[in-house]
Amino acid sequence: MSNQSDDSLLRHAGADRFFHWATAATMLILLGTSLLPVVGIRFAWLVPHWVAGLVLTVLVFFHVFRAVRVLNLKSIRLQGADFAELKGPKAPKPGKYSLAQKGMHQAWMLVVLVAIATGLFLMVKAGVPFLERDPYLFRLRTWGRLTLLHDLAALAAVFLVIVHVYFGLLPEKRHYLVAMLRGRVSRAALSKDHDLSKVERGE
Amino acid sequence: MELLRYGHDAWGATVVNGVNWDLLGVAVGAGLAVVVVHALRRLLGRRNGG
Repeated sequence: MSNQSDDSLLRHAGADRFFHWATAATMLILLGTSLLPVVGIRFAWLVPHWVAGLVLTVLVFFHVFRAVRVLNLKSIRLQGADFAELKGPKAPKPGKYSLAQKGMHQAWMLVVLVAIATGLFLMVKAGVPFLERDPYLFRLRTWGRLTLLHDLAALAAVFLVIVHVYFGLLPEKRHYLVAMLRGRVSRAALSKDHDLSKVERGE
Repeated sequence: MELLRYGHDAWGATVVNGVNWDLLGVAVGAGLAVVVVHALRRLLGRRNGG
């Protein structure tokens, strides 16, 4: 964590905030274009869906590149010691991210990677302008399994959006939302739930 | 309630087509359940001075 001043810390760099909000917008488009027809709101959903899917794929590549080359993976990696937080208020405070925040990240990572991996194959089945449609690439059974995984990722994403937005809007978590909007977080607010010495060590 | 959608291939064998979209309500319900349980715990914690 760089760019530290006396009373605040840089929690999310501009590139990471852009990734977060662009991913959020893309996920809402993907869920809207896939699930609104399911509940009876019919429209030409396929083109905006695969376009948003490709945008999400590019965003994830960008994020993975930054995570590996620029960010500190140690701060987001879920480790056994993180579960000490479950002991309650007497447990040692976490570094940059709490157990819940790491868990949310890992859940999103799994859901988004499954959605992208299956979605890229399903684009071949559906046909897009730059890929020749080939519904015979796989057997029907395999297409069904890919669709099943894609659908499960969509359902899990609906669950995660609800939970993520709820916790993001809680008054006592407001400093996290402000940090995701403006980048910085006050030391006083962060120190209530995080060990600033660990944060400064990049943990 | 069936958890999956099924179809048939050219030989008449049953194949999975995806999830049963009735599960969308389960996903929304599970998310709202987390919200309600947490909100209640938060409210009770405040009443008890937590």
